[in-house]
Amino acid sequence: MDSPVNRISRHTYSLIEDWIEPGSRVLDLGCGDGALLDRLIERKKVEGIGVEISQSMIVRCLGRGISVYQADIDRGLSQWDDMTFDYVILNDTIQVISRPHEVMNEMLRVGRYAIISVSNFGYIGNRIRIFLEGRMNTAIRTTGAWHDTPVIRFVSLSEFKTSLREINITLVDAWYYVAHSSIHSRRSFLSNLLADQGLFKLKREE
Amino acid sequence: MQKPLVETRSLLLDRPFHLESGDSISPLTIAYEIYGEDPGTEKQVILIEHALSGSAHAAFYHEGETKPGWWDDMIGPGKAFDTEHYRVICTNVIGGCNGSTGPSSINPVTGKPFALSFPPITIRDMTEAQRALLAQLGIDRIRCIVGGSMGGMQALQFFSDYPDQFDSFICIASTMRHSAQQIAFNEVGRRAIMADPRWNGGNYYGDIPPEGGLSVARMIGHITYISEHMMQEKFGRIRKDKDLRAIFRPSFEVEHYLDYQGVSFVRRFDANSYLYITSAIDNFDLVTSISGMGRFRGESRARGTRLTTLETKKGLVISFTSDWLYPSEQSRAIVRFFSGLNVGVSYAEITTEHGHDAFLTDHEQQTHLIRSFLESLEHAQ
Repeated sequence: MDSPVNRISRHTYSLIEDWIEPGSRVLDLGCGDGALLDRLIERKKVEGIGVEISQSMIVRCLGRGISVYQADIDRGLSQWDDMTFDYVILNDTIQVISRPHEVMNEMLRVGRYAIISVSNFGYIGNRIRIFLEGRMNTAIRTTGAWHDTPVIRFVSLSEFKTSLREINITLVDAWYYVAHSSIHSRRSFLSNLLADQGLFKLKREE
Repeated sequence: MQKPLVETRSLLLDRPFHLESGDSISPLTIAYEIYGEDPGTEKQVILIEHALSGSAHAAFYHEGETKPGWWDDMIGPGKAFDTEHYRVICTNVIGGCNGSTGPSSINPVTGKPFALSFPPITIRDMTEAQRALLAQLGIDRIRCIVGGSMGGMQALQFFSDYPDQFDSFICIASTMRHSAQQIAFNEVGRRAIMADPRWNGGNYYGDIPPEGGLSVARMIGHITYISEHMMQEKFGRIRKDKDLRAIFRPSFEVEHYLDYQGVSFVRRFDANSYLYITSAIDNFDLVTSISGMGRFRGESRARGTRLTTLETKKGLVISFTSDWLYPSEQSRAIVRFFSGLNVGVSYAEITTEHGHDAFLTDHEQQTHLIRSFLESLEHAQ
């Protein structure tokens, strides 16, 4: 079955994969069932570790033979020394984090590059939904009702990029894309309107 | 369903068995049990390590008994350690009192129990004795070594000393070294035994053993094995009688519970073994032991260095949220250490109110984790 979720993941996964150097060390925060790490281990021969809060997801990662660490990302990454990893990935996870800036700082403490996917609140489709319905709907929120959804962070691509400066993080590379399609572009012109996803490769400002 | 039966077997090593202290024991008896033996089929071996008061009887039933082994929820057909797929072995530690040579065994030189003339033992001595047993059984490769609490210490020690012999380890509710608090609890237990006049410098065999002291030691242990929340839930302030003059006998439910734990323990455990084994636990320090011996190339050299033999190894570390005796932070330190040596270590923290004892009682979540972990090892072949 090719569900919409699978299509979104596949598009994001292939963009992430292109950034990863073969044989590098990768930490995947909020790794879920380990599908992305599995792909990176197979195709890029990376040494990968996942971090996940849900025990059922931990069980699935173990079944895949992926090393996984049960923890709440919001509590920091104190388990790892500075610059342990080449890449620290936060894919489809930033929207559930209470302290995104602290987590991003931690990512760039334990790793050289941070790779973060952001669902664009400013996407034209979302603007139309809010305009017509006058409320947040499940297409924007992705899961749950307003009072029980784990999705608590709504950020547009432009606001995300602006806030990087406040915490001395440099944008190294970016993709703006429409998840359901195969369209992606490095040009940021009108991306805040036309792309529903952004993928950012970040490093600490030197 | 018919109860699966098992017998404790023993191996007699008639050459001197050398200990870390420089002493040796001769002859040495090692008690062990095997589950899932299937003559004619090639099965991978799982090695089970028991905790302080455990024995070789980890699973199945002894003839005529109604209670199965101490980890029967985890070992058997369709269970975490599936005896349909694996040959599972558990041995009693040396220094113990359940079949392997310990202070209550007869010293062949004097014809009397060793008592305190028994040499001090270490966690490594326990695993070296198992190595001697495995050699006798013709087993040179272990799919997974697993243990909780002191069993976890043995698993880490054995795996670290001979990484080539193991594909993986599972370490549950354990630590690489005891903290001051953990040593302190053990010391109070030891003092309770030694303060009992019946202990008599360890010479009580053939007489009434120091039951009072040993049961107090066990009571202290049991307080640390369960969580405050669970104790409150289970007993609260419930009492059988409200006679205020009853201060010299158990009245509160929790007192009855501890009394029962203490009394039933003295029936099956030797006080001197308790002293020897808790000392082995307190003296255990994995990092020092493996760097000092030069067998494992030491932490300092190994950290950040790629050890090719270890890169293919897997580890699973499990802790429990309410375990205050072996807190999760100690398990995370194990993960840090072995990750630094490039072992593919995973970590799971099980949410439970059952405290340290959860490794014996919370089998469902452990089973999910362990079965997935073991399955992935099969695919890696």
